[in-house]
Amino acid sequence: MTRPIRLLIVDDEARLVETLSKRLTARGLYVEGVHSGADALALLQGKPFDVALLDVRMPGMDGLTTLREIKKLQPLLQVIMLSGNASINAAVEGMRLGASEYLLKPANIDDVLAKIEEAFHKKLIQEERLAAQHGPGA
Amino acid sequence: MTAATQGGAKASLWEPSRLLRRSILALLLTPPTCLVFLGLAILFWGPDRSEAFFVPLLAALVLSSALGWPLAAKLRRQLAALARQRDAFYQELMRLSKAASLGEVASSIAHDLNNPLAIMREEAGWIQDLMKGGDLQGSHTQTEIANSLQQIDIQIERSREITRRLLQWGRDSAPRAEAVDINLLLNKTLYLLESELESAGVKVAKDLPPDLPPVGGGAPELRQVFLNLMKNALDAMKASGGTLTLATRADAAGLRITIADTGPGIPASSLDHIFEPFYTTKPAGEGTGLGLPISRWIVEKLGGTIDVESQEGSGTSFHVTLPVQAKKDAPGS
Repeated sequence: MTRPIRLLIVDDEARLVETLSKRLTARGLYVEGVHSGADALALLQGKPFDVALLDVRMPGMDGLTTLREIKKLQPLLQVIMLSGNASINAAVEGMRLGASEYLLKPANIDDVLAKIEEAFHKKLIQEERLAAQHGPGA
Repeated sequence: MTAATQGGAKASLWEPSRLLRRSILALLLTPPTCLVFLGLAILFWGPDRSEAFFVPLLAALVLSSALGWPLAAKLRRQLAALARQRDAFYQELMRLSKAASLGEVASSIAHDLNNPLAIMREEAGWIQDLMKGGDLQGSHTQTEIANSLQQIDIQIERSREITRRLLQWGRDSAPRAEAVDINLLLNKTLYLLESELESAGVKVAKDLPPDLPPVGGGAPELRQVFLNLMKNALDAMKASGGTLTLATRADAAGLRITIADTGPGIPASSLDHIFEPFYTTKPAGEGTGLGLPISRWIVEKLGGTIDVESQEGSGTSFHVTLPVQAKKDAPGS
């Protein structure tokens, strides 16, 4: 059996992080939540995650800046942008910066879960590919 | 009058060469001008000339009075009609730009509304999760459900506050003569942009002393002016953050409102043009070039003035001065 998906939720809405964490934990995920981009980066410095749900619009460091920094720290981490703003610009910009998916608030839990699983599989494939590339030489 | 003839009349009024010809003719034919001519004639030809010389001049004076006054009156009517057309034009522009800014405010409010909606969805979902789990009687489950329901209620209250803001924006039938508390109006307008300012990293510095005298009216129009100025300030600081300053002062000239940003400033070459309609320095599709001309029109209609100070590299300040409401005993209400 595969290990549980390690998910990081980054959103300034504390209650959303809390309840979404409970619901996704109940669905078998390992979940941690933080409330700002800076906290996310601090956590990611020492701990690997598979997937991150990242709010686009946050006070302080915004979602796109956080995404850029996340990709420097953990290039393989799959980031799903989460936004209350139906702005296609932010979505396109997020994908250009390496986000793997985009979800609009308020999102349905089944959609969230499906996107997380999809992103996780994407990460596994990328990891395998990397291992295959470096494998023979190592 | 039918729409077609009305349109024709408007077109002829706007035609500049015709207006110019009429102005010159009217000026030449007005009695004071003719009197000047008469005086000049006496000065040059001397008073010793025969009466026969003055008869045609007097006749010209009488004739010009008969022709000149009606022409001058007509010109005045035409100028008044032009002023009315300009007012109607600005009123229409204001209506359109208000609709446009409402669109922008609406998208910001939609975002604000989606946050409580997202939380409510998760709380409702969590209750459903617990119900699917079976054990509903356990004290832990009971606490969780009560907690989630309470949270839903909190988020409904938060949503209600957001829709209240939007409704307040749409309501603009307040009587023009109502006293307007400028500090309150500035705060309410700021509220509409709060989350946008926050996510752009713009701090707000308020210097709004209490007990300022109210201005005489025009709250909905002034809100439009303040929103325009605050949005400009926000746009100027979007790239690298900064401080939005709101300040009010009462002095002999009236109430002085300052809305200032710490953005890149306006180049001197643009500064002379910013109040001209359709002049914009924003990228295509982002600015209409109407915010400032409309703001100036509104402020001047209310008997005030608007001016700008800008220093490249350190920011821009707009100053609006409005006449305070004449002191009188407070009405019964």
